Amino acid sequence: MGKGFRKRLESGIIHWAIRLNRSSRYRHIRKTVRDLLENPKNPYKRFFDSFIIFLILSSVFILIWEVKHPVPLWLDYYDIYFVSLVFLVEYILRLWISSDLTGELVEEYEKAVAVGRDFRVGPALLRGIKKKLAYMVTPAAIVDLLAILPAYRPLRVLRIFVLFRFLKLLRYTRSINQFVEVLATKRFELLTLLGLLFFVTLTGAIAIYILEDMHNPNINNLFEAIYWSLVTITTVGYGDIAPVSEMGRLIAMIIILLGVAMISFATSVIVSAFSEKLHELKEERIVESINRTAEFLIICGYGQMTKMFFRQAEAKRYNYIILDKDPERVQEAIHDGYDAIVDDASRHTTLSRFNVKNSKVTVLCMSHDDVENIYITLNAKSIDPRIRVIARASSPRIVSKYERAGADHVLLPNQAASTMMVFAILKPIIYKAIHAIFTGQNVALLDEIRVHEHSSLIGATVGSINFRAYKLILIGVQKVREDRFIFNPEDTLVLEEGDVLLVMGHKASTAYFRESSCLDEKGCLR
Amino acid sequence: MSKEQIFLFGYGKFGRSIADDLVEHDAEVVLIESDEERYHEALKTHRFERCILMDVTDDAALEELPVRVNEQLVCVMDDDHLNVFLVLSLRAIFPQSQILAISDSIHATRKLKMAGANKVIDLYAISANRIHNILNKPIATRFLEGFLNADHEYSFREIVIPEGSFLHGRTLEEIDFRRYGVIFVGMIDVELGNSFIFVTTGLEHKLDAGDIIVCIGHDEDLDRFEKIIHNAEEEAE
Repeated sequence: MGKGFRKRLESGIIHWAIRLNRSSRYRHIRKTVRDLLENPKNPYKRFFDSFIIFLILSSVFILIWEVKHPVPLWLDYYDIYFVSLVFLVEYILRLWISSDLTGELVEEYEKAVAVGRDFRVGPALLRGIKKKLAYMVTPAAIVDLLAILPAYRPLRVLRIFVLFRFLKLLRYTRSINQFVEVLATKRFELLTLLGLLFFVTLTGAIAIYILEDMHNPNINNLFEAIYWSLVTITTVGYGDIAPVSEMGRLIAMIIILLGVAMISFATSVIVSAFSEKLHELKEERIVESINRTAEFLIICGYGQMTKMFFRQAEAKRYNYIILDKDPERVQEAIHDGYDAIVDDASRHTTLSRFNVKNSKVTVLCMSHDDVENIYITLNAKSIDPRIRVIARASSPRIVSKYERAGADHVLLPNQAASTMMVFAILKPIIYKAIHAIFTGQNVALLDEIRVHEHSSLIGATVGSINFRAYKLILIGVQKVREDRFIFNPEDTLVLEEGDVLLVMGHKASTAYFRESSCLDEKGCLR
Repeated sequence: MSKEQIFLFGYGKFGRSIADDLVEHDAEVVLIESDEERYHEALKTHRFERCILMDVTDDAALEELPVRVNEQLVCVMDDDHLNVFLVLSLRAIFPQSQILAISDSIHATRKLKMAGANKVIDLYAISANRIHNILNKPIATRFLEGFLNADHEYSFREIVIPEGSFLHGRTLEEIDFRRYGVIFVGMIDVELGNSFIFVTTGLEHKLDAGDIIVCIGHDEDLDRFEKIIHNAEEEAE
């Protein structure tokens, strides 16, 4: 009877795990939660973090206020129930996403089925739970748990655990995290120093305890001796306990000197750690801030082309970051007022730092070295094919290589200049016209007008639109469905949502046309 | 010696492709090069009207060049410094001529202009501009590139209204250019020093024989259109 029940329970658990694991909704929720809690690239994480920080600060404020003033009941309830509940939920969620219990269970089950072995839920479940326990004993998880405790009112002592909520801030404020990280790089030096401090303090304490126990009324036990020793060694020197014998004073002089040496040593260790890391931290900030934008450019190389790119007026509208291997060039870029970091874009780790999943990323390969450009192109495309790559090539012969690497646009500066030169020589007037169109001068702006969801153009035929009244010329239509550009389309062509009209005309005409083809005011402002 | 000649200085990274393009468009090119190896290379092609080997820093040699008024001088030496120097010398010797130059350094453009070049093609400005266009207007850029590629899909064409054409005496408003598969973009005003006027400026004009209109379209459509406008009567639709 008992065996049958166990069998049923086991199969129940495994079926439940499989169902949960296969459910796309469950996985979606799990992914969303993980994203919100752990992915710094998630744009909503900022709001969540601010909310938690607010809860922490308000809770600590209430604790301080309570010392001298009565606290209104609702505030007390807010502190006990609301804040603690949020923290509890947060703790449970973190525990949930810390490891994939159902996933592992299902995997082990499938493995057992595949090799025809009898599957036992017990050990597998135990292994999964062990992983959860391993998470629970990490310092961060312990702090989280302790931060929930103050909700238990009968024990007033637990109120002091509100201070653990302060420690929770560690998780939510980057600067503290970075501070700890920086110190962690000097772990060896700092630990050595701590050991030395411990040793000197203890030696001094024992010495003074032995030498002054009889003469000094203030030193009655070892604890007081240690207290005196530490106060002296850190050069604080309250003076509530002072040596009275000559030997005691001698000890004091020695440990004061040692104390000064140790403090200056500690200071220099910390300062050097920061000066080494500061540069890196700054770069990290730049990368993080660019990752939060919805669309940005990664510009590889700060050479003449990049400089010219930024000199042109349109450059102001982009979010960008400049990468260059050469620190001197990066210095120059920073000096010129641009965001640049020293990094090699042809390395996998470099480009995968960027938020290619949630943002629209375009990589510009601006180097004059084809080998490097192609390498960067391949690198970007291997990380995510959605990354758009615009590359500069030195000669037409190499274009096919760029295309095979996956570049979306290949630019040939030499050829572009030569072609323009031929135009300028043979057809000087047309050259002027083309130049005006290319540089987007107001009089003859070649512009794209997208037929968006609120447009009155949906369903209209090309012939029914009086472009002449707007002083516009319709050059062609990009049909979204066939992904085809139709030059000079027939009057009967019907426009659909997503199509793009290519028109030429004065900037003001285009703007006016755009405005008047719009049914919903809000939709067109975008 | 009736046709205008183009004097091309330099057969290097730009000179080569420019020279080839010009010859393909039936232009008469006089090539000047100071490097012996390149000079022989150019000679071997047998495509150019004349090849001259000379030191371009030598004013006396430059003065010997048979440049006539209105002929164009194109400076595309690989060396920026030499290019600026050459423009400066040419300006002094041929004050009436059109001098064009390529600049492949962002610092050289202004210097070339100051030295006296009428038109400077700035490699970096053009490329950077192209990148901006690709980023902001991908469709427009693809279309524009259709003009410039070797297998140009579309072209700009200047068309002179012939004597006795049905277009004679009609206003621009009345003519439906799109019927012929071409797009009318503007006119060239001969009186205003050959300047180009876009139709989008609100051009109102009555066409006369001898006017130059500018259309874009596929080559075959443009060819057909050019033939059609010789007719005295417009075909009925």
